Amino acid sequence: MTIAKQAQIRTNIKQYFDMAYEGEAVIVPRKQGKNVVIISENEYNRLNQAVRVAAYATAVSETKEHKPESAKHHAEENNKTHNLEKLKTIRSFKKNWNGNNAPSFPKRLMDKAENLINGLTIQPEIFPTALCTIQLEYDNARRDHMEIEIGLSDTAEIFIVKYNGEEIYETIPADADAINAKAGDFYG
Amino acid sequence: MDNTFQNTEKLYRAVYPPEVADIFWKKDGSISSAAFADPKGLSVERGDYRKDNDVISSMRKKFSGHIISLYVKNCTDTGAVVIYTPSRTNIYHSEIHGNEKTALLSKSQRRYLANHAVILTPRPL
Repeated sequence: MTIAKQAQIRTNIKQYFDMAYEGEAVIVPRKQGKNVVIISENEYNRLNQAVRVAAYATAVSETKEHKPESAKHHAEENNKTHNLEKLKTIRSFKKNWNGNNAPSFPKRLMDKAENLINGLTIQPEIFPTALCTIQLEYDNARRDHMEIEIGLSDTAEIFIVKYNGEEIYETIPADADAINAKAGDFYG
Repeated sequence: MDNTFQNTEKLYRAVYPPEVADIFWKKDGSISSAAFADPKGLSVERGDYRKDNDVISSMRKKFSGHIISLYVKNCTDTGAVVIYTPSRTNIYHSEIHGNEKTALLSKSQRRYLANHAVILTPRPL
């Protein structure tokens, strides 16, 4: 790279053009930063090609980033459908469904669980308990485990077992917003 | 058999409801701790050092669902107690309680036992 004033260029224009043709860029400083660069046609074409390749690579990358997002959303929708089907099955349980006189699940609880599942952005795995509650379970890549127990009360009990065995107990409001926030933290 | 349990004795549990066998199974093939929540204590059949297949055959006569096993040690490790409660129809009937005073297992105990349970019958798809 060579820097040459306008006056030098005017005086030795062939020399600077030859330098540019040989592959050396010639920068010409001008007032207010309106600098120009003299390069060969080959170099100009190479740079244009590089810009096109970079633009293509960015487009491909963005497509790849969006595809998993879409696949993730699709998977969550499938999980939600599965959970709603499972809730239907749990609704149908009769008294003594566990062989040890567990009560059937009240409609109010099942309606509440269904509303929650419909409002959750990250779907848990769901299970009935003989305590007449629905247990939501989340497991993350760190191997932490989180259970959220939903009953008829306005609060939900959270039990977390971290990968190192540490146990955490919490109580949160039994609504989708609170559970979404907790699940977000859990996977964050 | 008497009221004492050795740590090496196995306990067997039928997972209800048998007609919805996969209700407690997680996607990774393990069993949920929810299957261990029972306010009346966890009904099990003590192994009395019988072979797994003999116990399963015996339980199959009255139950069509899935069967899991645990060691007594798994229970004592987490502070749970095993109580021998034979009935007229089942001399092996026993119960796992959270402690001497409370039948319900704590969340921590349920999770521990779920992690240590061995699924003896083919897992649901």
